[in-house]
Amino acid sequence: MDSHIKKVYVPMTETGFYILLCLREESHGYNIVRKVELLTQGEVRISPGTMYGSLSKMEKDGLIQFVREEDKRKIYCITDLGKEVLALEMKRIERLYRNMTEVR
Amino acid sequence: MQDTKTEFKYFPVFEWEKEQDYLRQQHKNGWKFVRVSFIGVYHFERCRPEDTVYQLDYNPDGLEHKEEYIQMFHDCGWEYLQDFWGYSYFRKPASEMNGDEEIFCDEASRTEMIKQVLKGHMLPPLILFTLIILPNIYIQSHNNRPVNDILTIVFLALFIIYLVIFLFIGYQFWKYWKLLRK
Repeated sequence: MDSHIKKVYVPMTETGFYILLCLREESHGYNIVRKVELLTQGEVRISPGTMYGSLSKMEKDGLIQFVREEDKRKIYCITDLGKEVLALEMKRIERLYRNMTEVR
Repeated sequence: MQDTKTEFKYFPVFEWEKEQDYLRQQHKNGWKFVRVSFIGVYHFERCRPEDTVYQLDYNPDGLEHKEEYIQMFHDCGWEYLQDFWGYSYFRKPASEMNGDEEIFCDEASRTEMIKQVLKGHMLPPLILFTLIILPNIYIQSHNNRPVNDILTIVFLALFIIYLVIFLFIGYQFWKYWKLLRK
């Protein structure tokens, strides 16, 4: 993984994290929006401008790849690089959580 | 009673938020936005007064893949209205929202849009400036026919016009950036 990717995506935004998390299965943007809403009991609602921008940026950076199109919706899935980044983020968040519960 | 109206309104490059507020206020007053043309002629038609949120996006990639781009907004309940000078116009009734909704939900994506706006407005004149105007000032001023003198003046004039454009956009951006930092 080159340093540019690391700099931009570790740590990443909440939106970015949820997108990678959801794209371990093939999915289109709106599907991710709904999934994240369910996962967070409606607390995280990803807006379309943010979603569209994040997907094209992640595709350009090689974290996700375009699979096919269905009813004018682009379906994506995570790449190996994306999985690497997601694993790094998970580790970081786990550490964060561990340290947080220790002081609570 | 008239059913349509047009208003002239000019919004500088970085003031899309004011434009959004303007369109929302018109809708609240019973004037629904139909389209914008020229440099800022806004067309409205009479409607039932309603609180409707208007949002502008600036996404060259979205314009290239327009169908998928509009579909994403449509899925999230945003009605696509038109494109205008690189901006895309969307609206959604406040009554259909869960709390306050915008087309961007984090700072990272908002900043990305600002970058795109700046790039879209600065890059084309910058290319013309460095590839056409600057070399021509050099070439024309080093030739001695009368026509070269005239062309030197023309390109010098263009040089000044472009400097003004850069300063103007730079100033608008600086003003906007300062506002954003608050």
